[in-house]
Amino acid sequence: MQEISSTRQGLITYLLVWLFLGCALGGVISVASGTPLVNALLFAIPMNLVYAFESGYSAYYLCRAYPLGSRRAASITLVLSVAALVSGFLWLLIGSLWNSLCLLPGVSWAGIAFTSQLSLLLVGLGTLLYGFAAALHYLVIEFVRAKGAEQRELESLLMAQEAELRMLRTQIDPHFLFNSLNSISALTSQDPKAARRMTLELASFFRQSLGMEAHKKVTLGEEMVLIRHFLAIEQVRFGERLQVVELMGEGAAECLVPPMIIQPLVENAVKHGICNMPEGGTITISAHRAGSILNIRVANPVDEDMSSLRSEGHGIGLTNVRQRLSGAYKHEAGIQWGRHENSFGVDITMPAQTSEQGE
Amino acid sequence: MRIIIVDDEMLARGVVREYLSEHADVEVVAECANGFEAVKAITELSPDLVFLDIQMPKLDGFEVAELAGSKTRYIFATAFDQYAIKAFEFHALDYLLKPFSQQRFDQALAHARANMGKNDGAIEQMVREATGRNKPLGRVLIRDGAKVHVINADKIEHVEAQDDYVQIRSEGKSYLKNQRMTELEEQLDPEQFLRIHRSWIVNIAFVDRIEQATKDSYVAILKDASRVPISRSGYQKIRAVIQ
Repeated sequence: MQEISSTRQGLITYLLVWLFLGCALGGVISVASGTPLVNALLFAIPMNLVYAFESGYSAYYLCRAYPLGSRRAASITLVLSVAALVSGFLWLLIGSLWNSLCLLPGVSWAGIAFTSQLSLLLVGLGTLLYGFAAALHYLVIEFVRAKGAEQRELESLLMAQEAELRMLRTQIDPHFLFNSLNSISALTSQDPKAARRMTLELASFFRQSLGMEAHKKVTLGEEMVLIRHFLAIEQVRFGERLQVVELMGEGAAECLVPPMIIQPLVENAVKHGICNMPEGGTITISAHRAGSILNIRVANPVDEDMSSLRSEGHGIGLTNVRQRLSGAYKHEAGIQWGRHENSFGVDITMPAQTSEQGE
Repeated sequence: MRIIIVDDEMLARGVVREYLSEHADVEVVAECANGFEAVKAITELSPDLVFLDIQMPKLDGFEVAELAGSKTRYIFATAFDQYAIKAFEFHALDYLLKPFSQQRFDQALAHARANMGKNDGAIEQMVREATGRNKPLGRVLIRDGAKVHVINADKIEHVEAQDDYVQIRSEGKSYLKNQRMTELEEQLDPEQFLRIHRSWIVNIAFVDRIEQATKDSYVAILKDASRVPISRSGYQKIRAVIQ
């Protein structure tokens, strides 16, 4: 009842239904017993409106007290049947009282002949309507609950996404942080200007990555800015050993991607590729838009002596990216990785979107 | 005091060099940017002290220490290797966490200097544990003079015990490694390698067939036609995987 009467529209609809039922009952009485329609309606409509609240509230509290699924169906049916029957008789009592009240003034347009047939009809109809009211309440309660659950699920999904990104941020490899600090420590005496440049790059990298929100997609261009900061820092560490090639196709930079989806791939490329090669190598980051599809590839050379053994760390980061992609695009996005001779590549395929659609 | 600096990052080597310049009696005899160079330099120059970074390409610090031996004293350095830090703590070895200060560096240097020449076997124990961590072994490292051979485990055909050494056969060449048979057996992938005799381990992929040698002894014939004896318990093991 609370749910129904909480909105004006719901309450009006509910009362209109009962008004209609009242008219119908009046019609039936008039036809069946030959009573004038006015008398029949004057009797039936107030009766129904009263019953709207009586059965409505009574059934509502019963439905609340006996929620579906919490008890055995048999006990719920029994309780409701008894309540419906009692309510039906109560309605009969109200009916006869109301009729006596109508007869009191002695006017011709009020009051009807109260036959035993009518009594039976009232009890039967009252029981039935009570049953309908109960069914309606169960429906409404379930509907509200389902809606609430959906809402909660959505909220928890959002929270999970946020938490995941937060984790990714804190997951920023501590090796990266401490090695960068070590480079700065070295540069302060060898090349103070370079030390300052490096702290600025670090600041930009952390500021941008900390400012990202999980559910807000960024353009590939913005993601690339973050990656360039990251690579600039790593280039101070690795010097000539780390070379980067960027191949951005037309329109690719404007496409939206989940934040920090490419950066972990580049980080892996440095950590598992360049880091293990005494002579270093070139990391290639390419993105191409083909119609409604965006293809992104990150490739790095790997040391020929490197067995699969030491590249285990690859798996965790990649699985994380895969999960985030499927969370954002379901089956529309895919990620594949593999080693081909002395090169390791990760390919992402995702829908090319330039505006947040339906979000 | 003669010192070798080993770190793959130029800037990191620069810091150590700078800190060492405060010490007049120290001579930097070599700087190495990777593990192979380091093993070579340590073997040839036998320095008093090696400043050794753990995270390096090709060979990491543990592997360098394993191959170059513990005749020299080491000061290890790492940025954030939790495993390494725990190992250094446990074996009470000198180590530095990057970035480190001149004071901290001087402390480690003074400690190393005071304990010069002492060898309580801590390094051997630590590197053995570190190798065991990477089970099953994907590659076997062998030092041959100043040279390091890296042998992919998939390409090892068989291993034969020879006193305190193991002789490893791979791609038509034999290599001697100072290691006990049982230890190597534990490190290799049991799905791939079987110890079919007290002094023989074979790579299952290289076994061609099993033949009866005498009335109650068998021999494994490998793909290159070499014959490896099989003991009675070894026969049970190899029959379970080869029909």
